[in-house]
Amino acid sequence: MQGPSTKSFRQAFLENLLVSLQLQQEHTSKHDSSSVGAAMSLHERKLAVKSSADVAMAAARGAGARWTRAILAPASSACKVQRCRRIVIRCRGRKRSLTTRSARAGDGGTSSGGEIARRLVRRRTMALREVIPGGRDAAVDEATLLREAMDYVVHLRAQVDVLRQVSEAVQRSGSSILQ
Amino acid sequence: MSSRRGRITDEEINELISKLQALLPESSRRRTASRSSASKLLKETCGYIKSLHQEVDDLSDRLSELMSTLDDASPQAEIIRSLLR
Repeated sequence: MQGPSTKSFRQAFLENLLVSLQLQQEHTSKHDSSSVGAAMSLHERKLAVKSSADVAMAAARGAGARWTRAILAPASSACKVQRCRRIVIRCRGRKRSLTTRSARAGDGGTSSGGEIARRLVRRRTMALREVIPGGRDAAVDEATLLREAMDYVVHLRAQVDVLRQVSEAVQRSGSSILQ
Repeated sequence: MSSRRGRITDEEINELISKLQALLPESSRRRTASRSSASKLLKETCGYIKSLHQEVDDLSDRLSELMSTLDDASPQAEIIRSLLR
């Protein structure tokens, strides 16, 4: 597993991100002259940045993780559709789940206590599947899911760090150029 | 990553769970007991991923706002690259 804190991953991620941001900006400036208003709304721009960041992260991670394939496969068209689907499923899941804080399984629990614990673990596992790309695939067993979760978390953290760096750099460069 | 649908031992699951716990931020680690239940850890992980997603969302907002104030990003992209090297 490639270490995400290594410079090579962050560099690759940054390269990918800058390329897609540049393409996005070029696309926008090309349309500005012809269109009356802004070609891309701020919201559309934000979605483009977000999907660019995810694609850049997945591409920089490379093969060897399921979540990267899950991001890269439908990246072109289905982004908005996936998001809507996720929201619907999350709402459905919330309705179904009961507050089970009272049903905490004891150490030497009875068989019913153990069953409640298992049910809870299953529910939590389902919830985890929802937030990890590709986690919803039934072929992903629990051990794989946990490994995917770990890999995804460390790379997400790196994504957040690099995005923050880029935002700050753009802010600095923007302010210095405008003066 | 092999997806062998064989017998996954409890030890393997427990090992993964403890590794996962090591990844979660310090604050949630203190809250959960050393022998924290699997379900609690799964919940923490879920919450952590969601909070990271939210951070990415906020940063994407900020970045897209900043980009819309720039006329032409090409020279800026070069500047950014040199600043971050």
